[in-house]
Amino acid sequence: MPAGDGVYRVEVDGRMETVYVAGPPHDRWVFWNGHIYRGDFRESGPSPRRTERTTGSQTLTAPMPATVVTIHVKPGDRVVKGQVVMLLEAMKMELPLRAPGDAVVAAVHCREGQLVKADTPLVDLN
Amino acid sequence: MIRRLLIANRGEIALRVVRACRELGVESVAVFSEADAFAPHVAAADRAVAIGPAPAAESYLAIPRIIEAARASGADAIHPGYGFLSEAASFADACAAAGLIFVGPPAAVLARLGSKIEARRVAAGAGVPIVPGETPVDQSNAGIRQAITRVGLPALIKASAGGGGRGMRIVRDTADVDAFIDAARRESTAAFGDGTLYIERLIEDARHVEIQVFADRHGHAVHLFERECSIQRRHQKVIEESPSPAMTEALRARMTAAAIAVARAAEYRNAGTIEFLLSGHEFHFLEVNTRLQVEHPVTEQVTGLDLVRAQLLVASGEPLPWTQDRILQRGHAIEARIYAEDPEQAFLPQAGPLLLYREPRMPGVRIDSGVVEGGAVSVYYDPLIAKVIATAETRGLATAKLVAALRDFPVLGLRTNIPYLLQILTHPQFARGAMDTGFLDREGATLVHAAGDEIPAHVRAAIAVASRQSPVPSQQSSILNRGARESWDPWGR
Repeated sequence: MPAGDGVYRVEVDGRMETVYVAGPPHDRWVFWNGHIYRGDFRESGPSPRRTERTTGSQTLTAPMPATVVTIHVKPGDRVVKGQVVMLLEAMKMELPLRAPGDAVVAAVHCREGQLVKADTPLVDLN
Repeated sequence: MIRRLLIANRGEIALRVVRACRELGVESVAVFSEADAFAPHVAAADRAVAIGPAPAAESYLAIPRIIEAARASGADAIHPGYGFLSEAASFADACAAAGLIFVGPPAAVLARLGSKIEARRVAAGAGVPIVPGETPVDQSNAGIRQAITRVGLPALIKASAGGGGRGMRIVRDTADVDAFIDAARRESTAAFGDGTLYIERLIEDARHVEIQVFADRHGHAVHLFERECSIQRRHQKVIEESPSPAMTEALRARMTAAAIAVARAAEYRNAGTIEFLLSGHEFHFLEVNTRLQVEHPVTEQVTGLDLVRAQLLVASGEPLPWTQDRILQRGHAIEARIYAEDPEQAFLPQAGPLLLYREPRMPGVRIDSGVVEGGAVSVYYDPLIAKVIATAETRGLATAKLVAALRDFPVLGLRTNIPYLLQILTHPQFARGAMDTGFLDREGATLVHAAGDEIPAHVRAAIAVASRQSPVPSQQSSILNRGARESWDPWGR
């Protein structure tokens, strides 16, 4: 959960850790426990498949190991760009998964309460 | 007593002096270059005077401009801090000529001890052991080569006017000696305007231990115990502490007596530091630092005394506020210097914005800093950002406190040596107190945090959360953010 300007409190194995984040998304500066990380974290590691497309069919995936908290859509629903299609939780932080563009939900590959691994396909959009 | 003090410096030391002024009811006057118009030391002082363009030679090193700023602001004294003009006899002279009190030793003392050759003579005259060496009268390469032969290898070529490792070369083999002599002479001439060289025997595996001294014009000279500064990288101190882990009561008695003897022989005034090389129980005089040291807080923490306040009192002509028998060393203090530098890129100094800068708050942790979040570190000056000083009952506890403080000290927007400091402080050899001045250069790469470290999942999670929030509230970042957001993705990045 955010705990002030650039400060994030994250739970790891029941222990709270403080992470500091600054800088624009393509050039992040991150501090945790005396370690400094810098980079464009949008493309590295267990993150969702990047796509420049905002229309057409695509699959939304989990950015990291997470729990599916609520699913707001079912197959056949129309969604608009920016609409939250489901809410995930990872390390006590909520991560809303949003539609990248106007689309129709083709399939939902998970259920509420399910633990999903990084890069697991969650929703197909058409 | 000094009424209005001009501080001819910037950064953390200028702030340190401003605070001392406030406590004493002395008005403070900051000076600043064009690069420092919005610097914290300017905001903190009672008054501030612009002294010129960003390059130090045209501002913080420009004696006429600083004297003029003192006159214009009605100051009656000048504190030089450390670095810049603090050890320049010409500056102390200029202050005297303008009727201003110079907070430091008289110009003649600065000139005498500023010559390393002369300082050695003073120490030897006071019966203090000096590193075996020789100053060749014949300063030609042939003359210096002969001196090296007489002193013996390994030897050090040093600059008489030297400091900070400049104009210094280690000679292990007579084969390449001419190249070293030429390089040392060139470097020394360029840096100090004086190419005079002398030769010292290189004492290896030695510790750097220094004694803080203080003297007034009423015949009092006291010491404030030792500081151990063996953790150096290329002659730049990185971590300092007091007491020294190598110290015994008998050795301390001998070293402090030697330091006082040098101070008396030099007719020293105000705060000074007598540096020694210590190997085993043998010590040799190295040089005198004729100013307040960067690492002075370590001494303040273990003695409970305020060195800057005492500097102002002594400069005003008052007697020292302490007698030797009332100065005690209690507990243990360790200081780490946070530099804007990248250990992974050969410690290249870094300039940049301080996007996020949060000093930890912990009992027993003192932070002397000269920057604020939203500010920047410029290319023009020393890359020192902050000093973190931890104090506790024992060395082990002070180290643990310092480690905890550094792990909770986010400085983002430019690279710092914080990960490197943590590697040193958690090194088993440091924990044993078994270090010498060669420790950092020897350990070298093993202490530098490897790039491309695996980023823990929870750190990634925090980054992901940050990414779905509004852009960071820095103007520059917002603009960059807007551009980045043109390509939309499900995570709002």
